[in-house]
Amino acid sequence: MSTEVLIGAWIATGLSLFMYSFLYKDNPFFKFGEHIYVGVSVGYGLVITYYEVMVKKLYVPMLQQGNWWLLIPTLLGLLVLARFIPAVAWLSRISFAFIVGIGSGIAIPRVISSLILQQVQGTLKPVVVASAGGVSWFTFAGLNTLLVLVGVVSVLFYFFFSIEHTGVVHRVARVGIYFLMVSFGAAFGYTVMARMSLLIGRFDELIQYASPQYGYATLVLLAAVVVGLVWWERGRNPEASDVE
Amino acid sequence: MLFWKRSLPVLITFVLGVTFALQYYVPHPASEALLSEVSVWNQIIAGFAAILGVASLLQVHYTKMRRKEAGWGYSVVLYLSMLMTLVIGLWSGGESEGSAFGWLYSYVLVALQSTMFSILGFFVASAAYRAFRARSLEATVLLVAAVFVMFGRVPLGEYLVYGVGQVSDWIMSVPNTAARRGIIIGISLGGIATSIKIIFGLERAYLGGGRD
Amino acid sequence: MDSIDTKDPMDSMNFARRMLSLDRRLIFLLIAVVTLLPLLYPLGLPIRVSPEVRKIYDYMESLPEGSVFLLSLDFDPSSKPELYPMSVALLHHAFRKNLKVLGMTLWITGTSMAEAVVAQVAQENGKERGKDYVFLGYAPGGANVIISMGQDLYAAFPTDYYGTKTADLPMLKDVRTLRDVQYAISLSAGSPGVETWYVYGKEKYGFELGGGCTAVSAPGLYPLIDTGQINGLLGGLRGAAEYETLVGAAGKATAGMDAQSATHFLIIILIVVCNLFYFFTGQEGRLRG
Repeated sequence: MSTEVLIGAWIATGLSLFMYSFLYKDNPFFKFGEHIYVGVSVGYGLVITYYEVMVKKLYVPMLQQGNWWLLIPTLLGLLVLARFIPAVAWLSRISFAFIVGIGSGIAIPRVISSLILQQVQGTLKPVVVASAGGVSWFTFAGLNTLLVLVGVVSVLFYFFFSIEHTGVVHRVARVGIYFLMVSFGAAFGYTVMARMSLLIGRFDELIQYASPQYGYATLVLLAAVVVGLVWWERGRNPEASDVE
Repeated sequence: MLFWKRSLPVLITFVLGVTFALQYYVPHPASEALLSEVSVWNQIIAGFAAILGVASLLQVHYTKMRRKEAGWGYSVVLYLSMLMTLVIGLWSGGESEGSAFGWLYSYVLVALQSTMFSILGFFVASAAYRAFRARSLEATVLLVAAVFVMFGRVPLGEYLVYGVGQVSDWIMSVPNTAARRGIIIGISLGGIATSIKIIFGLERAYLGGGRD
Repeated sequence: MDSIDTKDPMDSMNFARRMLSLDRRLIFLLIAVVTLLPLLYPLGLPIRVSPEVRKIYDYMESLPEGSVFLLSLDFDPSSKPELYPMSVALLHHAFRKNLKVLGMTLWITGTSMAEAVVAQVAQENGKERGKDYVFLGYAPGGANVIISMGQDLYAAFPTDYYGTKTADLPMLKDVRTLRDVQYAISLSAGSPGVETWYVYGKEKYGFELGGGCTAVSAPGLYPLIDTGQINGLLGGLRGAAEYETLVGAAGKATAGMDAQSATHFLIIILIVVCNLFYFFTGQEGRLRG
């Protein structure tokens, strides 16, 4: 195994355990790891933006291919940064007007078509199916189609707050609430699945780094972090407030 | 001066908003060429806008360091790690494969970011124990649906109870789809209303910047 | 006179109340142990394939050799455990079918990870960069990138991630816009993601679209599967494991499913126990009243 992989494994393990120390309570190890994370991700973002945007989309097309009209978006981009100079901060409004105007205009017809019309079309399916073999009045698919129709309409009734929810409207909205509760329950179940997956993935890597070829990195560093936390707790000022 | 500061941006938003809303319905080559060019321009402007967020963050931490506020040492750590990443990234020419920049990404950024989000696994368990109570009929429905989905989406659940996976699939495909569709339609209608308000200058919060 | 039964029902309720205010660090420890044990001692239970995953597999199988397959890896390291195994399985499948693979990302902090997975799987399958696969890299702007690619791919990405002019790449000779892509899959952790690819991409440029997403996003994408706007969905670690099963390349996702089972069961037990204790403390109120 190469030295950089071994050193990398120890650093990755150490930083991971620093982050996990938050589970005990907020502490200097966690704060240190947190600030490194923000610093490195900001630096990484800046490097990628420089090479992927400034070099590949501006420098190369303008200077090497002669696309000088890209000076216009460059100027608009620089105007965005005028926000930092109070005297001329208003210039940034021109760039934001450009971005937001185009974004809003582009979005309207596409959202209407994709997320409204096609979704409504998908709701209005036949409940009773007629074919050469005859008419199928009660099918499981038909029941599901009916349930989806009832669910969509009742949920839309629930979210329509411009009229008072009384009488029939109230009863339909109550049906909508139950559909929403089922959906939120499903969302909770999937959220649990997602969060646990992240944990499983991380633990899998830490187990790998606990093996002899990585010098038992996880075990050694876990012991070191625990000792560090005990030492920190003993040395703390008792009046200092802690976020739990 | 008020025209340049207030009216011009609103006018730009209106003209561009209407133009590009109508562009969708005009298949003429000139219309398509306009869309092509402007979408490239937006990418370039988005690159500059990303710097805006970074600069704001750095300003907050710089102020903290200058005033030596509580925890200012951590702001020094943030600046040093950002500078180190910039130097390494530029020295590596922005390339990740087999470079120091790639090493930093794999063993620092990936480790930190994936661990930070994996902590949520612990908190969701704690929250489930402390807060997930069947106080009402609605909460009970939510709880039962959640249990069915959690049970049915794992191999052990499907192994122990025949058909629970299919029940979980049905919950996702029928009641969940219905509710989510209602939410999608509602949010889309709201989004379109907001876009129209922005285009017609009724909503100007996006402009910000400056005193007027 | 002492009663025969001296057990005070209030004792049970005090116990229930104490259990409801249990130190959450004990729950953290329980989660850690329950996650760790199946990873060290796996059960290897079979994984049932759901219809929405099967649809993606079947569509990939139906693509003729040489079809252009776009894989947009729209995620960052925070979603790596769920989406990285999906990308590995899909890429293995695509290369096995000799599809022309076009890789890219719309998420800035996912760039290096996306490049690494495409290059690594391509190398494992003996594929040549520029001829069998292209990695375009990252571009900012989400929807604008998709529109730009739909209009003119060479303008959206004048060079690939490695600095080679896209117009000079043999694989992209007949791929000028998204209309020349036969199948696109977005593996997304949020926005921009699957929905963005549909609204600004498939809706106008007509390519077939599939999706992969974190389990958090999955419930919200089912309406799009129902209408056929996306032709299938790989949802979370389970979706990745199912696809690995279909492709016959068991990897990290399959290995994680036993731990997933254990943690889900623990959460269900915690919910049931908490509600039982809650019921007992409710009884306390009634007894006192």
